[in-house]
Amino acid sequence: MSLAYEPGTTFVHRLDPRSKLAAQIAFAVTAFAHTTPRGLAVLTGLTLAVLRAARLPAGRALWEIRFLVVLVAVPAAIEGLVLGPPWVSIADLRGPALASYRVVLIVLVSAAYVRTTPIRDSEAAIRWMVPGKPGRLASVGVALVVRFLPVLRADLAAIRRAMAARLGTERPLVDRIRIVAVGGLSRAFGRADRLALAMNARCFSWNPTLPVLRFSRVDIPAFCLAAGLLVWAAL
Amino acid sequence: MIEVRDLVYRYGDAGDGGNDGGSGGDGDDRDDGDTKDRGIDGESRRDEPHPNRAAAVLRGVTLSIPDGSFLALAGPNGSGKTTLVRQFNGLLEPDSGEVLVNGIEVGEGLIAARSAVAMTFQNPRDAFVASTVGPEVAFGPENLGLDRSEIDQQVERALSAVGMGGREHERLTRLSGGEQARVSVASALAMEPDHLVLDEPFAGLDWPARERLLDRLVTLHEAGTGVIVVSHDLTDLLDPVDRIVVLADGRVAADGPPEEVRDRLPVLGVRDPASSIEP
Repeated sequence: MSLAYEPGTTFVHRLDPRSKLAAQIAFAVTAFAHTTPRGLAVLTGLTLAVLRAARLPAGRALWEIRFLVVLVAVPAAIEGLVLGPPWVSIADLRGPALASYRVVLIVLVSAAYVRTTPIRDSEAAIRWMVPGKPGRLASVGVALVVRFLPVLRADLAAIRRAMAARLGTERPLVDRIRIVAVGGLSRAFGRADRLALAMNARCFSWNPTLPVLRFSRVDIPAFCLAAGLLVWAAL
Repeated sequence: MIEVRDLVYRYGDAGDGGNDGGSGGDGDDRDDGDTKDRGIDGESRRDEPHPNRAAAVLRGVTLSIPDGSFLALAGPNGSGKTTLVRQFNGLLEPDSGEVLVNGIEVGEGLIAARSAVAMTFQNPRDAFVASTVGPEVAFGPENLGLDRSEIDQQVERALSAVGMGGREHERLTRLSGGEQARVSVASALAMEPDHLVLDEPFAGLDWPARERLLDRLVTLHEAGTGVIVVSHDLTDLLDPVDRIVVLADGRVAADGPPEEVRDRLPVLGVRDPASSIEP
């Protein structure tokens, strides 16, 4: 599995992307406003509910963002280190750990969004929210990132597999990282070139016909959730 | 109608390896390196002339392809096949000579050229812009700014034409190689082109998938779409095509109906599928 759009008929799939974005933004604002154990506990419950509604198992979602988890956990852990016994200061660790956990929750909710929203719908939603040229740039940028990241990850995995098949795993760690990084970068450029060529062949336009977005009754709970979260954040 | 007159195309500077920049499977996709490409805005990104320019990849190619043709463009690896077809819709810009599509010079009407000459690439996965079949096929018509209802109709027609009707919601990554190739063809067809150019469409396909794709191409041709298949392997193509153009060393080495050209294929570096003689 990779974090890409998966067609489906879940409640979250049926939501208008704009209401999903509104709920997501409200969630992020609330997570920043209530970075406390109690606040994050409530948001954890909400995150699990969102993932469940999107039929995205929490364990799989966490696995998909494992590198990000490590990336945000390491600085927090370093903050908690002290020179000398007991080596870890819980008081120093607490703040950064909560902040890191907050980021993980926000990314998990974003994962549910990516999982349930076609790229073109996201483009249309961003274009609606940010009018003019900035909106066009942002929407195409988001679309390309969403399109490209899973492909790049697959490429990196392929390089690692190819390396392992020829006993590359016996090489020193730094050597392995270098091989994967250089190979990944080279493939990324090659893929970007080929994708650009293919998009040009199909008359790539900054202003294409986008899907028609329509709010419906199913969006009401999402907007209520967004409003509730914002009110809570303001308290 | 595609008309190519006295076309010359060179890769980048000889000093940096010239035309070895490709990453394509058969070595013919040599455009990935130092090339002169052209965006949809028509602005050329041509490199400045360099005294040590590499040898020409296309050396004075002249060709005329009427609408409704079924043409095989053959030739050994590196003969310039891919480079030539990418001039048809302005993906590459010639050093000299001209390419006209329906009487209009390609550089002066890029959108018209790209609508009239749709193209599929050797590795369909590299060209996918969406996660699922429907949005992938809709990408071209959306870029043309058509109405949503018209886009939906074109997507439906294109998918039906390749035997993938009703599969709009399937994930592209879950399709087989043959199905991905057919989606790629549908993506090109959705732009309702006069000519469909397929660059090595059978590469990596097993026999049944190859046969199915070929069947679809024959059907499309019978329905009036011009089909240009770029391939170094003419297996099964001698029957359906009405013309074979063989490129060798950047020049048209043979051009005519299959029955006239096939005797010369081995000499030109192309295997005659019915013969045991290897080139």
